Amino acid sequence: MSAVELASERERDELRRRFLRNRNAVIGGALVGLAVLTAVFATTLAPHSYTETNMLLVWGEPDADHVLGLDSLGRDILSRILVGARVSLGVAASVLALTLAVGTAVGMAAAYFGGWIDTVTMRAADIILAFPELIFAILLAAVLGPGVLTVVLALSTTWWPGVARLARSLVLGLRTEAFVEAAVASGTRPAAIMLRHLLPNIVAPLIVRASIGVGFIITAEATLSFLGLGVQEPTPSWGGMIRDGLTVMRTDPYLAIATSAVLGVTILGFNLLGDGLRDLLDPRARDR
Amino acid sequence: MGWITRNTGLAVGLGLLCAAGAPADAKSLRLNITADPSQMDPITESELIAGDIIRNMYEDLAGIDKDGKIIPVLATEWQAMDGGKTWRFKLRQGVKFHTGREMKAADVKRSFEALLTPALKPGASQVYLKDVVGAQDMLDGKATALAGVKVVDDTTVDITFNKPDVLFPIYPVRIFDADVLSHGADWFLKESAGTGPFQFVDWKRGSEVRVKAFPGYWGGAPKIDEVVFLVVPNIETSLSLYETKGLDLVEVPPSGTRAVLKDPRYENQTLRVPAAQINYLGMNQNLYAPFKDKRVREAINLAIDRDGFVKGILGGAGLPLYGSITPGVAGYAPVPKIPYDPERAKQLLAEAGFPGGKGLPPIDIQATAVQKDDLAAFADQFKKVLGMDVNVKVVERATHIKQMNAGEVAFFPWGWTADYPDALYFLSQLWDSRSPYNRVRWKNADYDKLIDQAQGEPNAEARYKIYAQAEKIILDDVGMAPLYIRTQIWLKQPNVKNVYLTPFRMLPYAKVEME
Amino acid sequence: MLTYVARRFAELVFVLVAVLILAFAASRLMPGDPIGAMLSDRSGDAALEQRLRAEYGLDAPVLQQFWIYVRGVARGEFGLSYRFVGVPVVEVLGDSLKISPLLALSALTLAVPLGVAAGALAALRHNRWTDTSVMAVMIAGISVPNFASAAFLVYLLAIRLGALPVAGWGTLQQTVLPVIVLALQPTAYIARLARTFMLEVLAQDYIRTARAKGMRERIVILRHALPNILVPLLTTIGIIFGTLLTSTFVVETIFNIPGLGRQAIQAIFARDYPVTIAVILLFTFFYAGINLLVDLLYGVIDPRIRLEARR
Repeated sequence: MSAVELASERERDELRRRFLRNRNAVIGGALVGLAVLTAVFATTLAPHSYTETNMLLVWGEPDADHVLGLDSLGRDILSRILVGARVSLGVAASVLALTLAVGTAVGMAAAYFGGWIDTVTMRAADIILAFPELIFAILLAAVLGPGVLTVVLALSTTWWPGVARLARSLVLGLRTEAFVEAAVASGTRPAAIMLRHLLPNIVAPLIVRASIGVGFIITAEATLSFLGLGVQEPTPSWGGMIRDGLTVMRTDPYLAIATSAVLGVTILGFNLLGDGLRDLLDPRARDR
Repeated sequence: MGWITRNTGLAVGLGLLCAAGAPADAKSLRLNITADPSQMDPITESELIAGDIIRNMYEDLAGIDKDGKIIPVLATEWQAMDGGKTWRFKLRQGVKFHTGREMKAADVKRSFEALLTPALKPGASQVYLKDVVGAQDMLDGKATALAGVKVVDDTTVDITFNKPDVLFPIYPVRIFDADVLSHGADWFLKESAGTGPFQFVDWKRGSEVRVKAFPGYWGGAPKIDEVVFLVVPNIETSLSLYETKGLDLVEVPPSGTRAVLKDPRYENQTLRVPAAQINYLGMNQNLYAPFKDKRVREAINLAIDRDGFVKGILGGAGLPLYGSITPGVAGYAPVPKIPYDPERAKQLLAEAGFPGGKGLPPIDIQATAVQKDDLAAFADQFKKVLGMDVNVKVVERATHIKQMNAGEVAFFPWGWTADYPDALYFLSQLWDSRSPYNRVRWKNADYDKLIDQAQGEPNAEARYKIYAQAEKIILDDVGMAPLYIRTQIWLKQPNVKNVYLTPFRMLPYAKVEME
Repeated sequence: MLTYVARRFAELVFVLVAVLILAFAASRLMPGDPIGAMLSDRSGDAALEQRLRAEYGLDAPVLQQFWIYVRGVARGEFGLSYRFVGVPVVEVLGDSLKISPLLALSALTLAVPLGVAAGALAALRHNRWTDTSVMAVMIAGISVPNFASAAFLVYLLAIRLGALPVAGWGTLQQTVLPVIVLALQPTAYIARLARTFMLEVLAQDYIRTARAKGMRERIVILRHALPNILVPLLTTIGIIFGTLLTSTFVVETIFNIPGLGRQAIQAIFARDYPVTIAVILLFTFFYAGINLLVDLLYGVIDPRIRLEARR
């Protein structure tokens, strides 16, 4: 093995050890892992069908067969919570991917090319950022009509400006670096410069930002579903289930409470993981 | 900063005041409404919640008593003349408007004219006046006076129609003091112009509507001082308020019926009356080919577990519906029960060429967000029993209604509430092929003929027989699948008396007493 | 300095105009039309529909509608509500304009002292059990969305224990739960930041000097440490206030509070365009305005920012 490869292997080991020592990262990672597994294997794990209605068991109390009880149509609550993970995490993953891709591309282009590209994109970003957080998403959702695609589009449109701004300022910071000037001088195409030289150096803070943002994205999706703008029946969504559960809290609290707990723990996991990653990757925030 | 401290002080002060409650001797009837009304005046009035409030302030020529029977209100008697093409109304004397003026026959004419003036954006009542001679001219802007209404003398008015309309006297058309119209477009937010037991005081949007007793009411001054309609969309809140005596009456929406019916504390405080509202499943034959086959429609009819639905989704607050008319409405007669027969349903479907549902194209069952549970239940039921591929489609309310009215929705559960106490309302508005509200676009020439006949038949018994015939036609042909009737559930504090719940919602609170 | 302020202000105006255009466009693009909502059951009546459409100016070409609307806004008129026939938008919003800011301010008043205290405490007991547990609670607070925590709190305090009312607005008791729910996330946020700042401050020389001089710990904290974290915290608090002001709608919906947020949601669902646009403009104005103020404040406090203002 060459010295370089040995060095990077050692770096990776070091990283792994630091990861395992960071409590936040470990606990967060475990929770996130659990959530992801649940989302992927939801239908296998679910003890019952999540759409099958049963008029005789409406709002049934929890028992051995239905651990969390049944909902307004006699459907198993546990099964619906498990499948709901799919929606929450699926949307979060899509939004994350879209936001990172679009935001990074736009931010890099704005910083690299400057001029009118910079002005136009950053103005657009400003306008979107001026809207109070979810109002823009709600407006967009109202225009597009409820549904998964709408939620993904609405949330992505709301979040890419933040990523773009960050990417832009990071690239601006790198513009005067020696290796960048060398690449420009040697005539490399802008796209190549951006992909091969700039991107790797801004990846770390972007990932930190992304991991911190996932929690917000899941919350936003849940809020949109809570307002009725998200996923539609009979697909379960945690936000929608909490809303339904809140209307009958007095007599049947399980739906709202169980779903809220699961939602809270999931977001908690992502936030812990995000904190842990920040500790590891961001040299500035060391004293935690 | 001062703004903040001032308003905090105000909020705290208000809070303490509210906690202390209104002064002990003011009798205030407090009840909930689930949302702000959309209108507050008798002209633009067109929805249920607004109607609940407005009917305490504005009255019609006739009304109903606590048993649902027609009684004289602003008109003391009426008589059909000229083969039913003209109605002569004798008006009650000594009726005062909230504005102080006394009601005369000219006011009836002016009210009708206001209700037909396009600039005033008339709501539901212009539909009922449509057939009055000269109404169309007014609606088209060609006339400013209503030709078909003749003021014979101060207490007599003749109304003439383009074609006989035996039910005109019971149509809900409000009479009010048209003088207020010159006081500005938002007169109804500042003053009251009706003849009813209560008059408008205040409307705090999002919060409450307040009306106070009208001492000059012709039926005798109310024994309570005011009625407050509190905007409480959340049933939990309503129930909490009721328990702490913050509400005297609670209209329990479907989502709260379980909590109320399950709780032994409420047993003697519950008012339960089936609503004059039918709920049906529409199947538009023009849009989904299999619906053209009567056996498919019949199969769907038999695959509906009405009892299960009432128990599960309605929480027991309802009754299965087998016909097109609800009990308590004049002209109602019991019809044969439709069994829940999955086996026969499967058989019929197979006979029609779709054994086990194979070959049936997928179909959307569509309605509004409020009905999402119903939709999910139906979709699952038809999938289970018939093997139909039914997809749930939730659509925004205005869009849905527009589409239904345009006959563009193939499969939908919807309801219809009686605006006036006669079964003809259900039969003529919903299934007559000429009605714009025939959303299933079901057509039957014999049925239409019977409706025409009924509209010209002044003898009630004879008319009811025609209703039964017509109803039989649509039920036999399975023009739609009847579903259920909701039971109206209200909670009433023990110290409140003379509250009357009818199939047509609450009567005005004129006679309410509170101990 | 003045040019900086002027420039930022101009940017704010530019943004608000853009928001106005976007909000107007969105309202016209939304499926479901308000005339349809008004007609409701009577949408079969084409003549009536035509008339209503003309009444509300909705039959004019969109650009003309926009121009008419903008002229109205310039005069301070936001039009008549579609949902509440004939009622001016300003009157519809009336009371809610006072309620939402009050709610947001109350939550902030609760969150700031609590958050600062918790964060400072955690910093002082750095890496000990108190630190870990306080931070765990705080991170949980940030994680759970407010409607989820509302579910728990309502169930525990209002339904099970009956200690507080389930919803409503008007009595002092009714303000407790909504304010607590609304304050949860800001408290956690402020606590985490306060802790970070406190740790930085505590490592500074002047703190060590003060302690070496024998000053009582309490004085050291209260007079030397805390004031130095309040300044950087100020800008965050400002931003949090802006966010709070514009995200009360969930809490208002759950607790049935007649505030601006709930009005906005109801207006959007009812396709009440005039109210929708007015509320969005208002919200954006609050939010962007507060952010601008915070930025300017920060510029005053930290001169480096002003110089870096060129973008």
